[in-house]
Amino acid sequence: MILRPPGVAEQLLARALRASPYRDDILGDLYESYAAVAAAHSIPYARCWYWAHAIRLAARTILRAQPVSSVQPAKEHRMDRLLMDLRFAIRSLVKQPTTTIAIVVTLALGVGANTAVFGVIDALLLRPFTMRNVDRIVMPVSTSPHWSGRRETVSAADFLDWRTSLRGGAIDHLAGMNWWDANLVGRDQPERVLGFFVSPEFFAALDAHAAIGRTFLPEEEITANATRVVLSDGLWRRRFGADPSIVGKSTLIDGAQWLVVGVMPPTFDFPMRAELWGVLSLDEKSARNRSNHYLTVIGRLGDDRTLDEARGELRALSQRLAREHPETNSQLGAEVYTVSRGMADVGVPAVLALWQAAGLFVLLIACANIANLLLARAAEREREMAIRLALGSSRGRVVRGSLLESAMLVVASTPLALAVAWASLRLMRASMPARIVRYIAGWDQMGLDFRTIAVTLTCAAVAALIFGTVPAVQLARGVVSDALKADGRTGAGPGRQRARRVLVVAEIALALPLLVAAMLSISTVTRFLTSWQGYDPNNVLTMRLVLPELRYPDADSRERFTVAALDRLRTMPGAVAVAAGNVLPAIDSNASRAIELAGQPPVDPSKAPRVDYRVVSEQYFEVLRTPLVSGRAFTTADRKGSEAVAIVSEAMARKFWPSGGALDQQIRIANGPWMRVVGICGDIVHDWFDVGTTGSRVPTLYRPIAQAPADTFALAIRTTGDPLSLVNDTRIALAKVDATQPIFDVMTLRQVLNEKTISLRYIATVMGVFAGLAVLLAVLGLYAVMTFLVARRVREIGVRIALGATSHDVVRLTLGQAARLTAVGIAVGFVMAVALGRLMEAGLLGIVSSDIRISAALAAGLGATALFSSYLPARRAASVDPIVALRAE
Amino acid sequence: MKSNSPSDVYLGELEQQLLLVVLRLGDEAYANPIGDLLAKAAGRVVSRGALYTALERLEQKGCLRSSLGDPLPERGGRARRYFTVTAAGLRGLRQSRRVLLGLWEGLESKLEPSS
Repeated sequence: MILRPPGVAEQLLARALRASPYRDDILGDLYESYAAVAAAHSIPYARCWYWAHAIRLAARTILRAQPVSSVQPAKEHRMDRLLMDLRFAIRSLVKQPTTTIAIVVTLALGVGANTAVFGVIDALLLRPFTMRNVDRIVMPVSTSPHWSGRRETVSAADFLDWRTSLRGGAIDHLAGMNWWDANLVGRDQPERVLGFFVSPEFFAALDAHAAIGRTFLPEEEITANATRVVLSDGLWRRRFGADPSIVGKSTLIDGAQWLVVGVMPPTFDFPMRAELWGVLSLDEKSARNRSNHYLTVIGRLGDDRTLDEARGELRALSQRLAREHPETNSQLGAEVYTVSRGMADVGVPAVLALWQAAGLFVLLIACANIANLLLARAAEREREMAIRLALGSSRGRVVRGSLLESAMLVVASTPLALAVAWASLRLMRASMPARIVRYIAGWDQMGLDFRTIAVTLTCAAVAALIFGTVPAVQLARGVVSDALKADGRTGAGPGRQRARRVLVVAEIALALPLLVAAMLSISTVTRFLTSWQGYDPNNVLTMRLVLPELRYPDADSRERFTVAALDRLRTMPGAVAVAAGNVLPAIDSNASRAIELAGQPPVDPSKAPRVDYRVVSEQYFEVLRTPLVSGRAFTTADRKGSEAVAIVSEAMARKFWPSGGALDQQIRIANGPWMRVVGICGDIVHDWFDVGTTGSRVPTLYRPIAQAPADTFALAIRTTGDPLSLVNDTRIALAKVDATQPIFDVMTLRQVLNEKTISLRYIATVMGVFAGLAVLLAVLGLYAVMTFLVARRVREIGVRIALGATSHDVVRLTLGQAARLTAVGIAVGFVMAVALGRLMEAGLLGIVSSDIRISAALAAGLGATALFSSYLPARRAASVDPIVALRAE
Repeated sequence: MKSNSPSDVYLGELEQQLLLVVLRLGDEAYANPIGDLLAKAAGRVVSRGALYTALERLEQKGCLRSSLGDPLPERGGRARRYFTVTAAGLRGLRQSRRVLLGLWEGLESKLEPSS
């Protein structure tokens, strides 16, 4: 029996050898040996052996000069010539390992940074959700000219009208959803779980199906049937031990029994990593409410229907509703977003755009640097090129060789760039706390995939084109006779010098705006973290709770819980003061109310002034160490039934009673009781975005919690030592008040503040890294160019010194040259920096204030660094020994 | 510049060994046994690519001549290329030997193992 070698390998080899006169002999020899190897070992071994030989032979044939083909240059194949050029390019790169490595690393950093930013953009903006057919899922929203650009939610009555009227139209399966802080009691410790009340069609809209059991039925929307829940896979495993017969069992949530009807597959956690879904059932009263906008609505585009059609239908409908219900809907419009866009945070695109711009700047600087290195190299090889041209090589071929070198550099740096991007993305993912991640849809998906790799390759290719063209054009323009005549001072031609100077100027000009942007971000973060914001965030332990309506149905029961909890906590050793409040500073929620002032004509409710609204217990200001400017704090005497009182913030007092005398004035909320102002407290910065947009502190109204008990509130404990050491005691104390009541977000106020600034710190860190890279590259670029210029001018400097120039003169000469380049770069960069600062102010909702003094200081700093980097070459120039320099001729 | 004139042909070590192997193999001198014998006798494993390149180079230099045999089924219907050493190749070998022997002369005592 004759053993045949692997056919594919044989064909491959035959193709590779097609130009060789020995092709058939080689194939025959291998064929023969294959049988021998198979007999001596085994057939699989022989196949591997054959493949290995075929590949090595093919590679050798392709990469090595073929003696046979070079004997007949007339028939030289275009491909062969390309291969020769390629070999030449690789060889010349390998010959100068330092330059090559410098270029590859620079490029990898530039491209890698861009890939990482694209990875973030891709995950957060382009594809934050991983549902099937995600671009068919839409978010219809109500809009209003009064809602300053923020995407708002929909009122229950509007939602129901939309659903009835749009059925069968462009949007199918319209479903409402509403936030649900669910308190699970179940088997072990009480736990608070993020859930959502959703319409039964919610799952159909997302094309999601239960893994066990079912999702909701349409009839379960009726209030009487509404105690049905669907669990997430994670919750099912964690709290229910992955009980396979869970469906049909009841569980205690918010003090009531809920029937579990299904468990979702592990991949389903929409929205915001929800773990629990209950039926959204709208009772008659809320079904008629058009003024309270609290529902988020999603739907699915009908088959073959477009987003524009959906917009058209919804707008027509909202105009109809505006006519039918002018008192609530006259100002309302409607808009349809894709779910990716609709769920995105308002500020995110601006920040990511900033990052991408910064990334591109870094890439451009990297390109300029590489072009400079290549130019320097080209200068060294000028004679070689000239000789090649003189010997009959075409200019096109020389240029092609140079471009091929760039291509090879790109090929070499791409894996490194991917590694840089991969590492940065991992670092970013790892450094974001899980609590925050759930609010950033897509954060988990950040990573390298086919798309990011494609972007990397494009980025690198464009970069190669940018930095490869300059030296190539310079080469092609070169005059052969000049280069051959030159006395070794090659590379000093006016054209090349200009190119190099322009590149250095560009680098400095690009680095400055990045530096300014980074500095602005950093100074903003520092300001937020360290400056006085109206309270003392140190040594305060905070936690939040939601009292379930069934267990605490009325104000009295809620107040009883609050009073009992505060009393228990106050007696804990280590606790100095204890307070409750509906909102604590820097926490991620807020509350506001429209107010009415006594003695002023009543205004249209929609135009009534709004203030931030706080319901607090007596020691609130003591715990936060917020000063009382005048009047008194709340006391235990301010209770239900006693005179209704309020405290206003300084900003509020200034705004509504500009001439003073806020004390003893009467105000009220909607149609509530009139409250007398008994005190004025210092301003607290709750959210810098508010401060940024309005330019002043937000007016805030405080009421005693005893007069307006809240069901969702936070506790704050001022401690003598480390706040976290009191966590256990706190849990025990609260369990004594109500063992089924979970607390969540237990953290120090300092941690709350840190989390609040995390996005800003992110911006600052990323910008800082970019700026650092940019400055480093720019300074290195200047250094390289100055070194190069000095090396080329050794003879001239030698002559100057011989004619009496002092070393001081020489340093001044060289530094002067560097200073001119730096000055031009900084002048251009300064203009860009000011523009970028303005852009950041606009993009970051005003929390960043661009200060021209910062830009100026940074410009000076960058200039000094640049000059310092040129000082070393200048010193070298000054130490030129004229005798040596002149003898070198 | 390489010269094709056989009189001043210079043979490298591998080339010398290859020519000797071809001489030894006589009528059976095609690539496979050449590689095998080289591996056995000289203890050096030459990659196939290098082997073919060296054989080609020797043929170009005029030290080897090749002729094709009959197509064989155990080679997938391809012929063997048999090599023979040309007169120029023999001259080159002789010259190398002469040079080496001349250089060796009188040095045997120094280079013999001292054991």
